[in-house]
Amino acid sequence: MADLITSDQLLTKPQRRTLYAVLEIIIPADEARGMPSARDTDVMAYVAEFAEQRVDAIRAELDSLNEESLKETNAAFADLSIADQQALTEKLKAAQRYFLVSTVLQTLNCYYQHDTVLTALGMKPGAPFPEGNEVPHGDLSLLDPVRARGKIYRE
Amino acid sequence: MAEDIVDVLIIGAGASSAAAAWSLSDTKMRILCLEQGDWMNPSDYPSNHKNWQILRNQFSQSPNSRAWETDYPINEDDSAISVANFNGVGGGTVLYSGHFPRLKPSDFRANSLDGVADDWPINYATLDPYFAQNDRNMGVSGLAGDPAIPYHEAPLPVVPIGKMGDTLGRGLNKLGWHWWPSDAAIITEDYEGREKCVNLGPCNYGCAQGAKSSVDIAYWPINQRLGIELKTRCRVREITVDENDMATGAIYFDEDGVEHHQRAEVVIMACNGIGTPRLLLNSTSARFPDGLANRSGLVGKNLMFHPWGFVQGHFDEPLDSHLGPMGTCMLSQEFYETDPARDFVRGYSLQFTRGSAMIDTAVNGTFSGNIPWGAGHHAAFEKYMGRGVNVNICCEDLPEECNTVTLDPELVDSNGIPAPKINYRLSENSKRMMDHAVGKATEVLQAAGAFQIDPGGHAAGTGWHHMGTARMGKDPETSVVNEWGRSHDVKNLFIIDGSIFVTSGAVNPTTTIQALALYIADSMKKNLANLFD
Repeated sequence: MADLITSDQLLTKPQRRTLYAVLEIIIPADEARGMPSARDTDVMAYVAEFAEQRVDAIRAELDSLNEESLKETNAAFADLSIADQQALTEKLKAAQRYFLVSTVLQTLNCYYQHDTVLTALGMKPGAPFPEGNEVPHGDLSLLDPVRARGKIYRE
Repeated sequence: MAEDIVDVLIIGAGASSAAAAWSLSDTKMRILCLEQGDWMNPSDYPSNHKNWQILRNQFSQSPNSRAWETDYPINEDDSAISVANFNGVGGGTVLYSGHFPRLKPSDFRANSLDGVADDWPINYATLDPYFAQNDRNMGVSGLAGDPAIPYHEAPLPVVPIGKMGDTLGRGLNKLGWHWWPSDAAIITEDYEGREKCVNLGPCNYGCAQGAKSSVDIAYWPINQRLGIELKTRCRVREITVDENDMATGAIYFDEDGVEHHQRAEVVIMACNGIGTPRLLLNSTSARFPDGLANRSGLVGKNLMFHPWGFVQGHFDEPLDSHLGPMGTCMLSQEFYETDPARDFVRGYSLQFTRGSAMIDTAVNGTFSGNIPWGAGHHAAFEKYMGRGVNVNICCEDLPEECNTVTLDPELVDSNGIPAPKINYRLSENSKRMMDHAVGKATEVLQAAGAFQIDPGGHAAGTGWHHMGTARMGKDPETSVVNEWGRSHDVKNLFIIDGSIFVTSGAVNPTTTIQALALYIADSMKKNLANLFD
């Protein structure tokens, strides 16, 4: 079950393996902060629901990453060590302006509205309405010097 | 069957239309408003939904990107600023931030004071009572005593400035500069049957709470109870005229594309600074071969936006800057008035707006390199989230005849009506002003303690404010409407929107547009006996 990605019908098995690996490279878990890895947030289910038009671009990016890995190391990206995956992605980021741009964008979009992530960040998951947010009034005595200066507009 | 003739026909159901219709309702005339868009349903707005951050994309402010059936395309290929608008009941107020500063007395006297542009034929005092009336009608929050504007009191208490306001206020005080909490068209207490703001955040994508005073919420339900008729999905193609140069009504397409001719005794244009000249230029006839009410040749000329810029600052301490009404916190008008020591004339406002929500923080931070992939991602996200503030720069735009709205020779809307084409360039004065403002915005953020400042500068996708394309004035040779909004050429045609601005000032124009609309409606009522003389 370790490499299961739900809604995986959108990707081939090699693409799923590559995605699963690269999600951990983009946003790994941080136990100290209680933050999950991006691979725990079901990115492709999110893409299927909200960004289906980006699926082709994501497939192409994952294929390209795997091809680069095979070319550089004779191994699939998912089979590399974490250190080698990081080294390869850093190299490709430096060389390609739009490296994994769709994959990263959709990963961030999915991750930063995921209930688990927002809760870990101390934010309220769910819709802003109707509960809303508390915002302090602020210290309006800070305006005293502005008032003291007097009128500044022209008639 | 008798012909259906209304007393007053208003084109467009946005900010100016709503205010004028309200004012005219006490005449008991039959008033009909035609709107090309729909009523909005607040439960459709993004903040009703868990995925609100992504759903915002459906409410793009660009009509070309949004491309709803109710939008019309705009050719912006030759414009340094692209247009933002909304077509529906409420018009641009559906997606505006509700930032509600007024023009100042000096804005009406640019020529007398600074030798540029023209003076308005009216002054601040003319509009003062109408500003106050509109504040009551809309539901406006604010703090009295701002030394940068004549004294006025808002009907509701000021919007909270929060921790970010305190931080910026201390920075501005170090510099000895003006600042003040913003007047906001947002209700901070329950008001007139509406529930108060609960700081949902994304005001610019529609307010689910109904606390933002968009005119579909603040005016139109009342207007309808007062007997004003409002028809949606009616796209006007042309204003018709007779052989006596009097408007006779409007030809429009209904939702099914069926053409109708609505007759009227008086026609009021309220489609704002692009829609109004577009419609006038589309209304050609033997009497008006260059477009209706265009014997001056000035319809569509002198287009003013506000050249707009951004400088972003990031602070060490958590400010919760992502919470609160996004566009309304505070402003500085330290550099609003002309200073001969500067290399530009007139001035600008600095509008301090809230920081980004989670996805925008992550995406902008990641693609700018501030937030890395890998082990450092979470710490870096924490460093930026809720700690960013935006300084918006709103520059006064001076009128220039080369900045125009014309008709595109090929582009048409879904009814085949020629679409507008924008030709607009930034003046040298605007460029120098923007450079100065970016420097001053950077100074504020430094003084307030920002650890990182990103001076973005001029941004093209910010054409929210459309002004000047049917300017008011006393001389028919140099203006389109007179000092109370009546066309010089067509005595029963009035224009009440941003088109009639003579100068732009350096503030969001909606409150001034609405004050003008109330003033013009009041002038019509005072002159009813000789309205067409």
